[in-house]
Amino acid sequence: MTTHTSEITDKLKKLTLNRLGLWLFLISDASFFVALVSSRFFVYGLNTPSEINQYLGLGLTVILLFSSLTAYRAEVAAENNNRKGMNLNILLTIVIGLLFLVGVGFEWGIALGHEVTWPSSPYGTVLFTLTGVHATHVLTGLIAFAIVYFMKRKNDIGEGNSWAVEGAVKWWHLVDLAWVAIYPTLYLIH
Amino acid sequence: MSTKTISNFMRIGWFVITALMVLTAIEFIVAVILQGIILAVCLFVIGLIKGALIVQYFMHFGQIWEHIRDLWRGIIFTVEEEE
Repeated sequence: MTTHTSEITDKLKKLTLNRLGLWLFLISDASFFVALVSSRFFVYGLNTPSEINQYLGLGLTVILLFSSLTAYRAEVAAENNNRKGMNLNILLTIVIGLLFLVGVGFEWGIALGHEVTWPSSPYGTVLFTLTGVHATHVLTGLIAFAIVYFMKRKNDIGEGNSWAVEGAVKWWHLVDLAWVAIYPTLYLIH
Repeated sequence: MSTKTISNFMRIGWFVITALMVLTAIEFIVAVILQGIILAVCLFVIGLIKGALIVQYFMHFGQIWEHIRDLWRGIIFTVEEEE
C-alpha cells in the first residue's frame, strides 16, 4: 500500500516537474516570437503591401485555430482513456497541420511573384522569416504528433499516463498562439 | 474523471473555438474599417483576448499555479521532516 502510494507520489512529482519544465521552455520560445513580431514594425512600420492576399491569411488562421480544437480533444480523450478518440483527433490535427503548411507554401509562391514581397525586400524579409520560423514550429509539432500517435496507439493511456500527448498538444497550442500574433502583424495592420 | 466532466471539457473546447473564430472575424472587419495606430491598438487588444483564451482554456495555465503551490508545500514538508 505504502509502495503504491509512493509510486503515485513519484509519478505526480515527475508530471509536475515535466509540466513546469515544458512551460519554461514554451515561455522562452514565445519570447523569440515576440522579438520577431516586434522586428516587423522596425523594418516596415505600420504598412502592409496590397499584394498580400488577405483571404489566404484569414484561411490559414481559421485552419490553424481549428487544429487547436482537435489537439485539445485529443488531450481530453487521452486523459479519459478514450484511445479511439485520441487517435482520431491526433490524425485530424496532423492532416489540418499539413494543410496549413501547404497554405504557407502557397503564400510563399505568391510572395515570390511580387517585387515588394520578394525575400530580399524589407517586407519580404519579415514575411519569410516569420512564416518560415513558424512553419518550422508547425513541422516539429507534426513530427511530435506522429511520434505520439505511433507510441500511444497501442500503449496505456489515461489520467496521469498521457504526458506525451499533453506535451505535444501544449507545443501545438504555442504554435497556434504564435500565429494569433503573426496573423494581424503580417496581414491586417496598415 | 466522470462522463459529465468529459462532456464539460468538450463543451469548453467548442466554446473557445467559437469565440476564437468570432474574434478573428471581428479582427478582419476592424482591419477593413480602421487604419493606423487605432487599428494597431484594436488588433493588439483582440490578440490579447484570443491569446488569453488559448492559454487559459487550451493550455490549462491555471494548472501551473497548483503545481508551484504543491512543489512549494513539498519543499517545506521535506525540510520539516529532515529537521
